[in-house]
Amino acid sequence: MIKAVMVINTQGKPRLAKFYDFLTVDKQQELIRSVFGVLCSRAENVSNFMEADSIFGPDSRLVYKHYATLYFVFVFDTCENELAVLDLIQETLDKCFRNVCELDIVFNYSKLHTILDEIVFGGQVLETSSAEIMKAVEEISKLEASSNSITLVPKTVSGWRNR
Amino acid sequence: MKRLGRAVVMEIFCFLKQGLTPYEKKKYVWKMLYIYMLGYDVDFGHMEAVSLISAPKYPEKQVGYIVTSSLLNENHDFLRLAINTVRNDIIGRNETFQCLALTMVGNIGGREFAESLAADVQKLLISSSCRPLVRKKAALCLLRLYRKNPDVVNIDGWVDRMAQLLDERDIGVLTSSMSLLVALVSNNHEAYWSCLPKCVKVLERLARNQDIPQEYTYYGIPSPWLQVKAMRALQYFPTIEDPNCRRSLFEVLQRILMGTDVVKNVNKNNAAHAVLFEALALVMHLDAEKEMMSQCVALLGKFIAVREPNIRYLGLENMTRMLMVTDVQDSIKRHQAQIITSLKDPDISIRRRALDLLYGMCDISNAKDIVEELLQYLSTADFAMREELSLKAAILAEKFAPDLSWYVDVILQLIDKAGDFVSDDIWFRVVQFVTNNEDLQPYAAAKAREYLDKPAIHETMVKVSAYLLGEFSHLLARRPGCSPKEIFIIIHEKLPTVSTSTIPILLSTYAKILMHTQPPDPELQNQIWTIFNKYESCIDAEIQQRAVEYFALSRKGAAVMDILAEMPKFPERQSALIKKAEVAEVDSADQSAIKLRAQQQTSNALVVTDQHSANGPPPTVPAVGPLTLVKVPSTSGNAEHTSEGQALTQPNGTLTKIDPQTPSEDLLGDLLGPLAIEGPPGAAVQPQQNAVSEVGGVPSAVDGAAIVPVGEYSNSVQPIGNINERFYALCLKDSGVLYEDPYIQIGIKAEWRAQHGHLVLFLGNKNTSPLDSVQALVLPPAHLKMELSLVPETIPPRAQVQCPLEVLNLRPSRDVAVLDFSYKFGANMVNVKLRLPAVLNKFLQPISVSAEEFFPQWRSLSGPPLKLQEVVRGVRPLPLTEMANLFNSFRLMICPGLDPNPNNLVASTTFYSESTRAMLCLIRIETDPADRTQLRMTVASGDPMLTFELKEFMKEQLVSIPTAPHGPTAPPTPPVAQVAQPTSPVKALTDPGAMLAGLL
Repeated sequence: MIKAVMVINTQGKPRLAKFYDFLTVDKQQELIRSVFGVLCSRAENVSNFMEADSIFGPDSRLVYKHYATLYFVFVFDTCENELAVLDLIQETLDKCFRNVCELDIVFNYSKLHTILDEIVFGGQVLETSSAEIMKAVEEISKLEASSNSITLVPKTVSGWRNR
Repeated sequence: MKRLGRAVVMEIFCFLKQGLTPYEKKKYVWKMLYIYMLGYDVDFGHMEAVSLISAPKYPEKQVGYIVTSSLLNENHDFLRLAINTVRNDIIGRNETFQCLALTMVGNIGGREFAESLAADVQKLLISSSCRPLVRKKAALCLLRLYRKNPDVVNIDGWVDRMAQLLDERDIGVLTSSMSLLVALVSNNHEAYWSCLPKCVKVLERLARNQDIPQEYTYYGIPSPWLQVKAMRALQYFPTIEDPNCRRSLFEVLQRILMGTDVVKNVNKNNAAHAVLFEALALVMHLDAEKEMMSQCVALLGKFIAVREPNIRYLGLENMTRMLMVTDVQDSIKRHQAQIITSLKDPDISIRRRALDLLYGMCDISNAKDIVEELLQYLSTADFAMREELSLKAAILAEKFAPDLSWYVDVILQLIDKAGDFVSDDIWFRVVQFVTNNEDLQPYAAAKAREYLDKPAIHETMVKVSAYLLGEFSHLLARRPGCSPKEIFIIIHEKLPTVSTSTIPILLSTYAKILMHTQPPDPELQNQIWTIFNKYESCIDAEIQQRAVEYFALSRKGAAVMDILAEMPKFPERQSALIKKAEVAEVDSADQSAIKLRAQQQTSNALVVTDQHSANGPPPTVPAVGPLTLVKVPSTSGNAEHTSEGQALTQPNGTLTKIDPQTPSEDLLGDLLGPLAIEGPPGAAVQPQQNAVSEVGGVPSAVDGAAIVPVGEYSNSVQPIGNINERFYALCLKDSGVLYEDPYIQIGIKAEWRAQHGHLVLFLGNKNTSPLDSVQALVLPPAHLKMELSLVPETIPPRAQVQCPLEVLNLRPSRDVAVLDFSYKFGANMVNVKLRLPAVLNKFLQPISVSAEEFFPQWRSLSGPPLKLQEVVRGVRPLPLTEMANLFNSFRLMICPGLDPNPNNLVASTTFYSESTRAMLCLIRIETDPADRTQLRMTVASGDPMLTFELKEFMKEQLVSIPTAPHGPTAPPTPPVAQVAQPTSPVKALTDPGAMLAGLL
């Protein structure tokens, strides 16, 4: 199962972190730090795989992908195929965030969560077809947009009343 | 940045206090999640997040679900508030809401969700009217719930449904269902046989690219992820019997093996190879024909030489797995040169894989080459790997040494090159070998002497050479530069450079050199005596003691020759190094296919000197070659033991201190222990004391409740760890290890619900041969009804069996159930009696009671026998907060604020049993700040027996804190005097009315 998905920038700041087993905040930060510590010491042109036993317990693997200023990191156990997971990062994120930059992620934080929820579900891969993922995400944004436009008027009214 | 973060937190906090529009609420809850990710513990907006779940509009609901699933854990109380809304969303008609709810349930996956929602989720999954979007989520949601609570999937009813799901056309749903199948099959493959042909069908469909929509085709590869998952699922079935099925599967596999090539496009490469590597794993699992296997090895050999690092990595890894397959080792060996090159890869991940592979493929034929390669690499290896490297080199050298002198060479080189990374175990082992092999002794001593000539040597080298020369330098006496005096001088040169842990070894060496110098050399004698004199006032007790004793002994002259004679041979045993290398099995819920397989195949590489209990007949020693140690009759050790063991002046007493029946676990004890004086024989060996006396030091004669005495060990197998401590730990928690010895581990996992308990015993065979005549009998006390399911008579090698045990509590009592467990290993019959942690406090449920509820209750339970009071003395002094923690751990809820006196504690709990049903218990503890060793305890409940038992139980806990060490550190004043007679608990009471007045 996939234990965690993280997006960390090259400064070590998390931009997205989702853990599929509950962990306390301190533990999460510690893991993010140690993952970053390992990643930033790796050279270019080496494999995308790491053993993460020392960070995440026995039998955990870590697959990462370096895009511009961001590391996309998946942590999982031996029940998953490494290359397939790597492929998952590449295939979907390539399409969803073509030429992605860090600011996009910061400003589209909620969108990123939505997309991630369409890809990974409770530690299991939900969907691998980027077309399907994009379809689901677009559906959600449409819903959001439509309900926002409706609420716009009453919201201001209710805001007035409250004052 | 940090300040900014805090400011935002405060801002949000303020905003949340006021009434907000849904839109603003949504905005701030998102911000909260962001801040949470940055590492701020947001413990305030949880309620807001949860309340958004029930918002009618999609955007609010969405943020509510997403944020709740990130912030809260499965046991959070707020989740209970939401459970109804979640359920309504799941069974409702709105698909987007269904998706949101499923996502949250799947991400949190709590027990309570599992119980209340699993049925609805199943319905969604098999419903034909739902869209694939919902159904695939339902599949994974069910998987998550199943992980939390396997009972949610009823195997009988589900198998057919599962098989039907695999006929699904939609690839998305099929992928999710396949993941679900993998989890189900990994736990119970037998039930799902009918799914096997379906998996093969799915693979065929994918391989032929039939009916695969374009969006699931990735660079021309039909849904690689689904292919991988399907092959993964197949690896959980032991074999495929149906010949047709097997044939068509092999056709598919052959196609994958042949049709994949390394191409330019990275993405295509990854996807194709993901499938390929999974196919390789499946081929290995199925024990395909030899032809196909060698084809696989050839492919892997190609991969470990390609440029793409990911593929090199996986190639090496899979080659390591390939070692498990019989008959291919030779074809793997052909790639040895390439693998050794990979040791120098720039990527540490790849280097580690290469090291693992080299370690795994090493045998007698290539050990020399590989170990020499490793030694060479050691000097350039980076620090992160040196320790592992040196350990592996040492183990290989020991296991596959063509001759022993080579082994000594390797270890000495190892210490020379990477002294910092050579653990003590390694040099202890070499000393053992040399001591046990007379032919080797002159050689080893000469080698050690050579290393001492080097200008700067590592301290470990000083230790080992000093030890070897002290023992065997007299064998070299005729050689040039090896006279006792010269040896003494060269060793003594190192003395100023070493730490205090090495000095005792050097002192022993001096004493031995002196003894071996015949006729005595007065000059040398004086020199050494001066050194002894100097260290007689050393601050380190060990050094001082040795100096004094050696001095006294050496003055006695020839009379003490025996004491300083060479060490006798060490009892033969399994190498501590090899033991260290055997990875501890972790029982994970999700067993990986590879691991299962590794367990089935008895480790063909490890455990060479398979030495078990020393007094049993040695098991047939596998053909290890020259390394098998000379077996020492254990009686010889014993004889010396008794003759010399008496005298106090036996500082250099021989190794005989080791009880021949209990091969000590650590080598350090063997090697250094005998040099120092040990306690009287036998004192240290029997850790198992009478359990009765350990329960709080309350003597059983006075203690009314019969605590079942736990039997002594009638056998030679020593438990690992303290059984009592394990028991006490399990009294406080619900899962852990109950018992462990070198052959078996008994774990326990318990769930307690009111008066019912559901325990599972995990019996794990740690060995590579089966355990026979396994018997487990539960001896329940009168108040517990226990039912243990059938325990198999044989536990296969490296397997774990689970035996559920149902418990029903009839009435309050402190009696403890005992598990009478026995098994046979080889000729050893082992029998242990273990207390089961089905104790009184497991049937308690903490409950908080407000002042309005507490006082009427307290008053209505006016006196004995419903309310009992006692002054307890001899309490282990504890700060009040710690005592409160202790109570909490026994599931007594501390109710702060009920008692105005800060020195008092009030606690409440509910006790469940058949006779009492749910019964409220109230407890009040009054401590004396001036004297922490005494306190007054009042216990009240609606049942006289419960009141009494609970009071006695708490007394036991307070008088002896179970986590504290027992034995000599037991409380100084045993509370014998205060223990009330069980027949008349009334006596101990004082006026309850006055107490109550004080409380109010």
